[in-house]
Amino acid sequence: MVMKKGQLKIQQMAFMLMAVTLFFVLVAMIVLVLRFSGLKESATLIEEENALLLVAKLANSPEFSCGGSFGTTRINCVDADKVIMLKERIDKYSRFWGVGSIEIRKIFPDGGDVLCDKINYDKCGVIEVFSKDVNLLPPASNFIILCKKEISGGDIYDKCELARFLVSSEDKR
Amino acid sequence: MKNKRGLEISFAWLFAIIVGAFILFLAIYGTTRIIRTEQTTLDAKTGKQIGILLNPLETGFETIKTTYFTMPVDTRIYNGCNDRRTFGEQIIRISQKSFNKWTDTDIDITFENKYIFSGNYTEGKKFYLFSKPFDFPFKVANLIYLIPANKRYCFIDLDDEVEEMIIDLGQENLILEEDCQDGDVKVCFSGRGSCDISVGNDYVEKRGERVYFKGDALMYAAIFSDKKVYECQLKRLMMRVEQLSSLYIDKSNFISQKGCSTDLNSDLLDLSNSAKDLKKSEEIIPIYVEDIKLRNDGRGVCKLW
Repeated sequence: MVMKKGQLKIQQMAFMLMAVTLFFVLVAMIVLVLRFSGLKESATLIEEENALLLVAKLANSPEFSCGGSFGTTRINCVDADKVIMLKERIDKYSRFWGVGSIEIRKIFPDGGDVLCDKINYDKCGVIEVFSKDVNLLPPASNFIILCKKEISGGDIYDKCELARFLVSSEDKR
Repeated sequence: MKNKRGLEISFAWLFAIIVGAFILFLAIYGTTRIIRTEQTTLDAKTGKQIGILLNPLETGFETIKTTYFTMPVDTRIYNGCNDRRTFGEQIIRISQKSFNKWTDTDIDITFENKYIFSGNYTEGKKFYLFSKPFDFPFKVANLIYLIPANKRYCFIDLDDEVEEMIIDLGQENLILEEDCQDGDVKVCFSGRGSCDISVGNDYVEKRGERVYFKGDALMYAAIFSDKKVYECQLKRLMMRVEQLSSLYIDKSNFISQKGCSTDLNSDLLDLSNSAKDLKKSEEIIPIYVEDIKLRNDGRGVCKLW
């Protein structure tokens, strides 16, 4: 069957219109993909900002702070006895601060990389409060005093050490 | 001679018009959807950023501090809360004015560690915030009060302590009696005169509804928030009291091995149970924490908090 000139023109136009539509759909898809990758980037940035603002103040929140347990109320003082017990019930706090991990690392005296628990926490260097199984960003940190009760010769006294409070946010990219 | 055939459109033209209209429709529909998604994204982002900016207020050690933030366009901040999971959730939802219409968003930004007291929603461009620590009897959280700058509260018959705090805050929309104007929300501490909000010894009455409080931090919370928000946030605070009480019991048992005697465990357990059972604000009145506080203060080197 021989195609008439008019039919051929319509076919050409149809192909042209489809090509134009497909082109715009492709452009729109590329824009959307770029846009959503930007969203993940900004979600990560927001999380990072959260960690940065949180680390400056978290040591003073009730779950960590010394309060009046070690004499007068001190800023950036973490109660090690409380934190060790907090570790035991940390599953309840996994979403509480909205961060990926919280860690306390003794600086002076240096306790090395030995993880602390209830048994060894006199001879350890790192209290890993919690760590989610996700990609983590480099931590934001703050210097703190880490205090605990000690006993010597029947007397109870406060032992305070210098430590770093490290908070990492989740990398959503 | 008249042309009886009328307007002649070839099939090619008709085809082009129909398909062209379809493509245009798709393009306009797609653009509208993208704009709506962008607005929702912006609302969600703003909500999250506001929540994060509250971090210094929430966990700070300062007894009381005020600050403000300004939005580029008129904004509604919806304040919600639920008692899901261990600590409940603070919910923030943002709606902003775009082309003279409020954007419609159903994205909830949630935080477990924040307690914001405000109306069901607050509207404006500038918002004031101040925070106050809530102790029960140990420090539980910093309560955050969110007030739009365009809403003025006029305080009448204040006691010295509250008056001093209002002056210290220096917030331009918290006014003392002598500067009150018509249209201000009148907060009376004596019950005399026509008041929008009446404050009693342990209750706050607003629009005929009464909520109960213990301590200054909860009193301000009751003044500045709706009943629904207040009751829900109080329930969340009690959920945290329950967890903190248990944490202090664990700490008490732990340090007792080092020779620090413990005699607060049963009181803390009672407190934990009372906090767990709290359903309405009036149930906070019989919970007696002053005695626990005094006994902890008297423990010298073995204080729990």
